[in-house]
Amino acid sequence: MRYLSEYRDPKVARALVAEIKRAATRRWVLMEVCGGQTHTIVKQGLDELLGDAVEMVHGPGCPVCVTPLEQIDKALALASRPDVIFTSFGDMLRVPGSDCDLLQVRARGGSVRIVYSPLDALELARKNPDKEVVFFAVGFETTAPANAMAVWRAKELGITNFSVLVSHVTVPPAMVALLDSPDNRVQGFLAAGHVCTIMGWTEYEPIAAKYRVPIVVTGFEPLDILEGMLLAVRQLEEGRYEVENQYVRVVRRDGNQPAQDLVSRVFELVDRNWRGIGPIPRSGLGVRAEFADFDAERRFSLDGIHTAEPTICRAGDVLRGVLKPFDCPAFGTLCTPEQPLGAPMVSSEGACAAYYNYGRFRSAV
Amino acid sequence: MCLGIPGRIVEVHETQGLPMGVVDFGGVRREVCLAYVADQIKPGDYAIVHVGFAISKVDEAEARRTFAVLREMSQLDELEWMKELAP
Repeated sequence: MRYLSEYRDPKVARALVAEIKRAATRRWVLMEVCGGQTHTIVKQGLDELLGDAVEMVHGPGCPVCVTPLEQIDKALALASRPDVIFTSFGDMLRVPGSDCDLLQVRARGGSVRIVYSPLDALELARKNPDKEVVFFAVGFETTAPANAMAVWRAKELGITNFSVLVSHVTVPPAMVALLDSPDNRVQGFLAAGHVCTIMGWTEYEPIAAKYRVPIVVTGFEPLDILEGMLLAVRQLEEGRYEVENQYVRVVRRDGNQPAQDLVSRVFELVDRNWRGIGPIPRSGLGVRAEFADFDAERRFSLDGIHTAEPTICRAGDVLRGVLKPFDCPAFGTLCTPEQPLGAPMVSSEGACAAYYNYGRFRSAV
Repeated sequence: MCLGIPGRIVEVHETQGLPMGVVDFGGVRREVCLAYVADQIKPGDYAIVHVGFAISKVDEAEARRTFAVLREMSQLDELEWMKELAP
């Protein structure tokens, strides 16, 4: 397929690895904030190839993993209602709530359906006027325009039995929270290419300047990621702290303006709780008052559901890069993809599941 | 979650006022919402598609340029490169 296979060439990858090693006079700590990049890095062993040139810390880049337990419990409560068809992207179905997951709710007779697009959920609502169709709107800035469009269209077309349970989060506030934490080790970032496809990179410029960290907007293929690492390492070696764009074939500085416009018409900035990290002010999106009828939390009065995070799962330390998955006492024993304790072990984009699936049970370096 | 896959726009149309289109992903075709790229895309272009929405046109000139830089680094044989990109 075009624009994929070209960026997986092993010969070019080897040349890039050699170039990174040549450029680095010491070991630099970089963080990617994108589950797709985490998956590629661990699957291809890119971090292991780089040895003592780069240490990759896997940041909170998986929306499934950072969705708080409380939102999962609200999803489970909604999906259990006989009048509700609960719709979701597939990766939310196995995320454990307080006492079960969405798959188990389905096994008990709940109507839970996987959709590819939020517009498919809207179509289900149109076809089932006697049911309430709720869509679990999770994701970063990349997914927000799609979810905003579903709400916008529902209002436009007068589809009144559709609503969204929102757990949207935004990347820059989480990066700032990490940089502000006293145990931060991260010296440079690979910014997620598709988040920036929507938002552009102007938000990252003050962060790079204030915290003196290079931020490289990076794509998803192995060569993209290696080139992103190289650009970050070169900046660190030269004492530059700028936003640079590796993913030029897709990302423009101002992002996608029509998408940003619709997102800000439907959603507004709200405080969000990040699983494993805690509350971060103005780090997420919630439904604006004008669209309250399409907000599942207002429609179904879910205020009574408050859940505290379990203490045994150390997802927070993993997401902050303080702990490698294999250093968690529960990793691979009490916590496996079949019986996950926390979300990073559930989603294929979670750092713990990536380490488990690709046999990373100890440090290679 | 933020997975976006490049696909080729095959056809452009409207459904109840919403710009839609058919996108080919290496042989698999799917209906995709083009509302966010409507002013920049035409059949034959490549776009990044995420959860049923085209979110950006792939800039072919930039794609070629990026890979040319990377290729130079590895001094890949020109002929081999042409062969690999041939449809």
